[in-house]
Amino acid sequence: MILLAMFLALFALILIDVPIAIALGVAAALAIALTAGFDSLPNVALLLYDGARNFSLIAIPLFILAGAIMNASGISRRLIAFASALLGFVRGGLSMVTIGASLFFAEISGSAVADVAAMGSILIPAMKSKGYPKSFAAAVTSSSSTLAIVIPPSVPMILYAVMSGSSVVELFVAGIVPGLLGGVSLMGMAYFISVRHGFPIEEVFEMRRVWRTFREAAWALTLPVIILGGIFGGWVTATEGAGLAVVASILIGTVIYRELDLTRLRVAMIEGARQTAVVMWLVATSALVSEVLTTMQVPQRIAQGILDFTQNPLAIMALLNLFFLAVGLFLHSAAAIILVVPIVMPLVQAAGIDPVHFGLVVTLNLGIGQQTPPVASVLVTACSIAKADIWEVTKVNVYFIGVLLGVLLLVSYVPAVPMALVNLFYR
Amino acid sequence: MFDHLVRFRRHFRKFLEAIVLVLMTVLALVVVLGIVFRKAGASLVWYDEVASIILVWLTYYGAGLAALDRAHIGFPTLVASTKGTLRLALVVFREAVVVGFLVLAAWAGWRVLQVLDTTYLVSLPSVSAQVTQSVIPIGAVLFIVAELLALVPPSGETETGHKAGPPG
Repeated sequence: MILLAMFLALFALILIDVPIAIALGVAAALAIALTAGFDSLPNVALLLYDGARNFSLIAIPLFILAGAIMNASGISRRLIAFASALLGFVRGGLSMVTIGASLFFAEISGSAVADVAAMGSILIPAMKSKGYPKSFAAAVTSSSSTLAIVIPPSVPMILYAVMSGSSVVELFVAGIVPGLLGGVSLMGMAYFISVRHGFPIEEVFEMRRVWRTFREAAWALTLPVIILGGIFGGWVTATEGAGLAVVASILIGTVIYRELDLTRLRVAMIEGARQTAVVMWLVATSALVSEVLTTMQVPQRIAQGILDFTQNPLAIMALLNLFFLAVGLFLHSAAAIILVVPIVMPLVQAAGIDPVHFGLVVTLNLGIGQQTPPVASVLVTACSIAKADIWEVTKVNVYFIGVLLGVLLLVSYVPAVPMALVNLFYR
Repeated sequence: MFDHLVRFRRHFRKFLEAIVLVLMTVLALVVVLGIVFRKAGASLVWYDEVASIILVWLTYYGAGLAALDRAHIGFPTLVASTKGTLRLALVVFREAVVVGFLVLAAWAGWRVLQVLDTTYLVSLPSVSAQVTQSVIPIGAVLFIVAELLALVPPSGETETGHKAGPPG
């Protein structure tokens, strides 16, 4: 009964636009007061403090900051120039450039929203000026930005790792193949649409131009690879790698590209802090909910209920996929991971699904959720840059969402796709 | 009166921005120092504990800044579709819920501080846990002020950053 009251209160508060972090806190505080009495309410402060005090989560502000600094250093422009030299000769060249540049930017940024803001502000106006429909420009930019959370580093993966007790490094490695697969598949769909609508070729392929633009973008391209290599090789932890990424991005921005001044650095740091606080407030208040759920053994009871219904891992995977796709329609990815992952983990483990494999399934589901209204943070950002109607863009975006769903099915039912590299290097 | 509020909000924003700038800088420095000392074979004993505490502080001081910009993740679709008195009532109720929870957090945080007067950090025994835990009541009060100031209509004041939305 108390549990029902907690979830009803949570649902009602979210519906009236109470910030989800606060709604979690209110609902859980209510449940704590009803179960343990009002004298236990000072525990709320202790749980709020301990909920945010997690060493592994330090990687989040640092990766966000590194991405913001690289972006303030003119990195987007250089990556786009390189992608244009490499892919601009294909039919629908600018859409290929958008997907290619998103793949490159994904290894710097851990956030699809940051990706779409950085890439979209340059490429969407460029596509519109070349005669591409604005709905197509917004759709291709939005869907390709989702790759930023699949290809490492990834803020949602760090959150998932903490919430599920999985290895961040293994999750990062598991994201490489699905991320590249997603990029190539999206390019295939963009090419198909471009041929049908006669979209233009961007420029002739010239090896000399590829080399020149590569040299300009080389630092931005190779440094994240070195830092991620350091993490994968066990030389530094994910948190330490994030710290090194901040130092490296400041050095590249000031010494090599010479576009990062104190004003831009200050703006990047404040933006990074604000985004960190938004996610971490959710993490902190979710500790209150976790306390209630753990006390009442809710995750275990849900797991048992579903296992009584079916023990087939394929069927359980299908149920979880449908559940996360539905959750992605209404919740931001960070909120969805924090709220739902701790509840379903006992079921995942009981069904014999590898938590790292499931992490990729969750990430892809929530990546698709970023493309599906009503709550679609990435799509909304792309539409606002393109000044396009969200439903008009969605009519085009369904093709790209279909591609991402195909990748999701492959990742869900062919575990080797995300897990081959993990098994090869870590197990 | 309105001008005073707008001016106060501008100063309040600068104040919060200064705090998070310092915290972000210190966090990056501590992590880098941690790597350097670990690789030199002289790991810093306070590294994990202090870095985690800075993250907590960044969370609660940064949350005020995010509240000032209405950047916290919510679901505005339903309220945005209402009009007139219903909308006003929903907004007033929402603000009452937000402020009510923060008052509870501030009160609970204050109660906790009173029992922590003999507790110190494990790795830095000279630092009282009261100092580190003070972020909960102080952060809650700053959040309340930010939440109320965010109700004042904008007047050309610009926030720092592009506000790309929450990461993810």
